[in-house]
Amino acid sequence: MSSSFRKIFVALFLLCSHIVCTSTAASSNLLPAPLDSFKNQFQNALKSLTDISTIHYTLGGMKELGVQPAENLCADIKKNVDSSNIESVYHATEAAKTLNNCQLPVNEFGSIIKTTLQGDKTTLAELFYAVTSSRNLQIPVDEDQVEKRLKTLSKSDDSILGQAYVLMIASQLNTAVAKFYSDSIHDMVQQADEVDGKALQYEGGIGTTAMIFNAMYQLADKAAVPLKIDAQHLSKFAYYFSTKRHVATIRSAYYLIKAYKLLSDPKHAVPVVVSRVSPASITPESPSVLVSITDLMGHPVGEISVVAESAKRKEDGVVVVSKQKLTPKASDFSVYELPFYDTKIPRGFYTIHLTLNHVKSETKLIGLSDNTIEVKVTSEVTIENAEVNLADRDHSAQVKTHKLSYPTTLTDKMDIDYHQKLIVKFQIKDKKTNEYIRAQQCFLRFTNKQSQKEIIYLAEAGTNSQYKVEVDLTTNSNDFRHQSGLYEIVLIIGDALLQNSFSWKIIDANLGFHEDAVSETRHTLSYTPKPEIRHMFRADEKRPPTVVSLIFSGLTLLPLLILLGLWIKLGFNLSGMPFGLSPLGFHVSHAAVFALMFLYWKYLNMFQTVRYLAIVSVPLFLFGHRVLATLAARRSLIIDIPAVKSISNPKSTHREFI
Amino acid sequence: MSQLSQVTDILKRLNDEYQTSTPKKLKLIDAYLFYVLLTGIVQFAYCLLVGTFPFNSFLSGFISTVGCFILAASLRIQLNKANQSTFNVSPERAFADFVFAHVILHLVVINFIG
Repeated sequence: MSSSFRKIFVALFLLCSHIVCTSTAASSNLLPAPLDSFKNQFQNALKSLTDISTIHYTLGGMKELGVQPAENLCADIKKNVDSSNIESVYHATEAAKTLNNCQLPVNEFGSIIKTTLQGDKTTLAELFYAVTSSRNLQIPVDEDQVEKRLKTLSKSDDSILGQAYVLMIASQLNTAVAKFYSDSIHDMVQQADEVDGKALQYEGGIGTTAMIFNAMYQLADKAAVPLKIDAQHLSKFAYYFSTKRHVATIRSAYYLIKAYKLLSDPKHAVPVVVSRVSPASITPESPSVLVSITDLMGHPVGEISVVAESAKRKEDGVVVVSKQKLTPKASDFSVYELPFYDTKIPRGFYTIHLTLNHVKSETKLIGLSDNTIEVKVTSEVTIENAEVNLADRDHSAQVKTHKLSYPTTLTDKMDIDYHQKLIVKFQIKDKKTNEYIRAQQCFLRFTNKQSQKEIIYLAEAGTNSQYKVEVDLTTNSNDFRHQSGLYEIVLIIGDALLQNSFSWKIIDANLGFHEDAVSETRHTLSYTPKPEIRHMFRADEKRPPTVVSLIFSGLTLLPLLILLGLWIKLGFNLSGMPFGLSPLGFHVSHAAVFALMFLYWKYLNMFQTVRYLAIVSVPLFLFGHRVLATLAARRSLIIDIPAVKSISNPKSTHREFI
Repeated sequence: MSQLSQVTDILKRLNDEYQTSTPKKLKLIDAYLFYVLLTGIVQFAYCLLVGTFPFNSFLSGFISTVGCFILAASLRIQLNKANQSTFNVSPERAFADFVFAHVILHLVVINFIG
């Protein structure tokens, strides 16, 4: 097996163990609200307050977290408010409300509030802003008019956000109106989307969901009716809110804090947060599981009897604890303890199911059953029966064995050459149970002392968890790139359930390889730019020397001279040539055809040539016809004189007659 | 020796026969055929000795000589009085065909010459 394969194995092992470790934290339990991170978010937002809505949400959020904002922020509110915008006025009045003594100029905002309340085109959001602003500024409102407008608008806008505004407006009117609209809460809960069967949310994300949630509580409070959200839905909302550890906007943070507070309010049903406060691994140092039981804001919820229904090992479902009552650890009943470290409980990952019961039922608590806590029991191990064997490949010599004892290193250097193989054997013993166990990660690492290059081999377990690594210096020489030299040999043992994962240097060894060392190829080299690819034109064919070409040109012309010579010798003459327009025209057009051929060779393409040829061939045909007709007539006239028809060299245009 | 003289004798008689009985216009065509043949031989020799590099040029040149030779030979056959019974065409018609065929042939030749 090549070293790259082994590296992949290492990576896989690490990945698996990582997944196992992280999965211990994941459960459907609620988590306490990350109040500190919200506080930080608000404090960061305080540093640059330029937007009136940000000022509102920041100050509101701080106040909800119990931090009184500084009074000098009143100036910021006054500076950033836009008195012609009802939304801006709403944010300003809400922000001013958080301060003890921040008087806003009522007269300035009166007109915009009035026009918004009376306007025909006012939307639900604007109506909400106007009603809230006038309540904050203590401007009297014509409730009948608002109620009428609210009725019309609530019929035209049935979006979930619109319904939330209806609730928030109604909760600021009289109790009768609030009661009238309180029935819609149940419908609104039904409209929420369920995620994974665990969470409920509305379209628009955390900010919108939290705002709608607040609106429901606000109306129920005003109407003085119990909130019509059943425990199942409520815990799903609570789960959704508690999983949001970070929110992007200050607005979302503000409404989320309000939602957390409502869910922790003893007047309403309170979801219980069960979380582990002790470390995940159970060791002699932390022998018990500590469970905190609070509300979302982290306050204790009173005395509760907590029973561990069962603790199951994840691997095989073995139950190690059943029906064990947890003891309260703190006087405020926020932390409970379950002793877990016991010689009888073997190493492994465990899931503890907890059931909670009221002792004093002042508040309605929800989420009391189906709470799980995940822990792992770790153990300490030691290495036993470790030995290094040096054997010949062909078994000709006796095997040399060096016994090892953890954690000492053999002082003698070992010389290993390419005729030999190195075999390392060991067993891992659990100190608590005295059993030989298997670990997730067992590797033998060779480190070249000079180049610091590491070669890692996987130790494989046989019967009775006997681990063995065999490194043959001939077959494995590629892994080492045939680089002879001094190597440090280290045994690495790791496991998520080990308290003491360790690496143990066994020995230094001088490795000698048969072949020459393969030089290191720097992997960065493969990222450097490749040489540029340049276009190469095809090389010209080899041409003969000019002299040769010229000689052959001459040679092709030579037969022409021979032809002329022969013709002269035979008695070539032009005496039979008729004169007149037709012969002249024939010769001229014939010459034109050959001139056209030349032009075709040099300049024209086939289509142009054919077009011109069609033009030239008309006179050629007509004149040729007439000339030949004349000649034929003459031949038939002088029948006894043999008329010899001409021939024509296609390259010349002359014909001759006898 | 006698065989050689016989051969030369036969050739001489053949030549005499040709000189006397062949009409002059056919002799002129024969001279032309000889000229075309020589040109073709020179082209082929160049191809063998130097190479075919501008192969299209060689091809068009060789097509030209071969085509000219065939057309001239056809003309000669048609003009021969002895063949008049086979080809019932006038010499002028034969010549017109010859010219027309040449125009087409050289259109092809020039197209190839590159």
